[in-house]
Amino acid sequence: MTTEDTAPTPDLSSTIWSEVDRALSGVTVEPEVGVLDLIVHIPRNEVIRGLRALKTDGELHFDYLRCLTAVDNEADGIDVVYHLYSTDKKHNLTVKTTLPVDDLRVDTATTVWRAANWLERETAEMFGVRFNNHPDPRTLLMPEDMDDTFPLRKDHPLAEIQVLQGEGIAFPGDEEAM
Amino acid sequence: MAVGPTTEPTTTAPATPTEAPAVPMTPAIPTEHPNEAPRLTPVELVPGKALYRSVLPGVMQVPADLLLAMGRKSSLWPMTFGLACCAIEMIATYMSHYDLDRFGIVPWPSPRQSDVMIVAGTVTKKMAPAVKLLYEQMPNPKWVISMGACATNGGPYTRYDRVLQGVDNVIPVDVYVPGCPPRPEALLDSFIALQDLIMEERGSVG
Amino acid sequence: MTADLQPQHEYEFETQDIFVNMGPQHPSTHGVFRMVLEIDGEVVRNVVPYIGYLHRGAEKLCETMDYRQGIGFMDRTEYLAAFNAELSYVMGVEKLMDIEVPDRAQWIRMILCELNRLSSHFMFTGAFGVDVGVFGTAFTYSFRERETIQDLFEEITGDRMMYAYFRPGGLAWDVTDNFVARVHEVLKSVRQGISDMDGLLTENEIFLARTKGVGAIAAADAIDWGMSGPSLRASGVPLDIRRDEPYLKYSEIDFDVITGTEGDVFDRYYCRVQEMRQSIRIIEQCLERLEDGPILPERMPRMLRTPPGEVYIRTEAPRGEYGVYMVSNGGNRPWRLKVRSACFSNLQALRDMTIGHYVADAVIILGSIDIVLSEVDR
Repeated sequence: MTTEDTAPTPDLSSTIWSEVDRALSGVTVEPEVGVLDLIVHIPRNEVIRGLRALKTDGELHFDYLRCLTAVDNEADGIDVVYHLYSTDKKHNLTVKTTLPVDDLRVDTATTVWRAANWLERETAEMFGVRFNNHPDPRTLLMPEDMDDTFPLRKDHPLAEIQVLQGEGIAFPGDEEAM
Repeated sequence: MAVGPTTEPTTTAPATPTEAPAVPMTPAIPTEHPNEAPRLTPVELVPGKALYRSVLPGVMQVPADLLLAMGRKSSLWPMTFGLACCAIEMIATYMSHYDLDRFGIVPWPSPRQSDVMIVAGTVTKKMAPAVKLLYEQMPNPKWVISMGACATNGGPYTRYDRVLQGVDNVIPVDVYVPGCPPRPEALLDSFIALQDLIMEERGSVG
Repeated sequence: MTADLQPQHEYEFETQDIFVNMGPQHPSTHGVFRMVLEIDGEVVRNVVPYIGYLHRGAEKLCETMDYRQGIGFMDRTEYLAAFNAELSYVMGVEKLMDIEVPDRAQWIRMILCELNRLSSHFMFTGAFGVDVGVFGTAFTYSFRERETIQDLFEEITGDRMMYAYFRPGGLAWDVTDNFVARVHEVLKSVRQGISDMDGLLTENEIFLARTKGVGAIAAADAIDWGMSGPSLRASGVPLDIRRDEPYLKYSEIDFDVITGTEGDVFDRYYCRVQEMRQSIRIIEQCLERLEDGPILPERMPRMLRTPPGEVYIRTEAPRGEYGVYMVSNGGNRPWRLKVRSACFSNLQALRDMTIGHYVADAVIILGSIDIVLSEVDR
């Protein structure tokens, strides 16, 4: 979401961008400098191919999936974020792919790392993202009868509670109280 | 024979009160403070009713419900049922530093033999049917302690719609313990409160 | 006629697999974890874990909370190692805002985190003793040590479990004057506690017979499942974020990364016991380097506002990698907060570890991962 501000001249010399660019030849990649790690954006129809290339590449060898999650950017769609790590080369990479709001589908990463299994199940029920060909697409954390709403989306409301005592005491979700 | 009131008792009745002060069954204890009088007054012994007191000295006469309640309150077996953070403080209370054993409170891993259920932690809507089932599996009489803010009303998580806003929505609660999480002393205090409650409501439970 | 005398059928005993439900209320599941075991005789054929009985939306609620208010939710997410959880969160805010933390605050943070690792591992050894069948003794001994550590935490922070003591930029307030003496006092007791554990469990013949060679997982599988922490290091992978990507002052401290060889239940247990000794080493070095100074930067804004950006902070919590993925859009609260929990990923590998072992060992294997359910479900 901040790509437009920082994209023009990102200083990628101190990062592993040159090797990532070599490993991801044939995949559309757009780099971005993060606070700690390098971030690369890959279109969603190529993301699994790119992830597999990053894992099997000898120089990079991203064999460890740290985290897989999603970020709801409201009108800009939902970003699926992969945090990769190499246990022997000791470097990090963040891979992001953007899904449009009207078609939340992406291929599963369980074919690359088995660790993606539960993380994808959690992301699916929290954001409504559909992971194609997931081996076990059941609900994970939700009650079985509450899998129709997606609580981590921005449009999912939190319950209103009654403030019982004191004037001006409110939860910080209430804008006027801030 | 018993039909119809006779006038004889009424005529003889005034005679007995006049005789009674002469032979008092319970000597009046001189009280120095007026407030202490009701507490220090001994139990009135009605002649003929507590006969075995004189026959068998040393036998204590108590109501059966009192005996039952004392038995119940002195061996409360809570079910080991940790839900969240409060479970750690609950375990800490069982352990040697705070030692619930000295109140006769021993953790028991099955609902079938337990008396008390300590709901220690957040009850989610996914967990609520299991909590209700466990409560129903416990034999009567049974009590529930709602430990911590989450079990009482949802606590910090009350705005999230997967969290039950208080365990009293599914099962009746006897004692609420405040705190997030409550200190072990607070849980000890809740057990003492529960023991008082058992003594108060004796005869009505079970 | 003769054909009748011959046995016409070879009778086969057909065995039927039994499904055994374990949890969500079970003394050995360490909370509200449920698994369905498919059992053939005594041998586990399949395990289906069910989680989510403690999913209470900490991530969602943090998105509506000010940065300082979110610290409390981090405590409750990882209640056995609350300092470690707070650390990831406040480090995320510091990285986004580019705040420099004073030295004294960093040393105190390290001491408290390692003490919390000790208390968390004591909880593990005690509970693991119960799982193996040493009821009471190991548990009471480990809780004795936990109480001494918790008393120290209470003196410093005012609470036994939910500290909310780390703040973006440093600490909420300075430690007490007798802090160094008190930590030495606690360490003396803890050292005795560790050798007690060695005597009670590590050298116990029955304990060894039950734990050695059970629930082994190979290093490649463990990495593929995303395991971390002592559970991964027991398989022989020397992956420790304190060493590989040093945060705080860990680069200036001398300590060993403990690894196992077999990756079985005993190694996972023994890695933790050895790690406790390393934690004591770290704390002693920190206490020598601790100097007076400020605990917060000069100018801290009253309302924290982070510039737009995102950061994935990872620290080595007692159970493994505790990651906080924080996305900011320039407001005073995170736009998205994701907690990457070590237990969540470790628990995925449970199925691989358990299949083919006896039912009685399923409990031990689950205990050896050392799960905290509120960290799994969040």
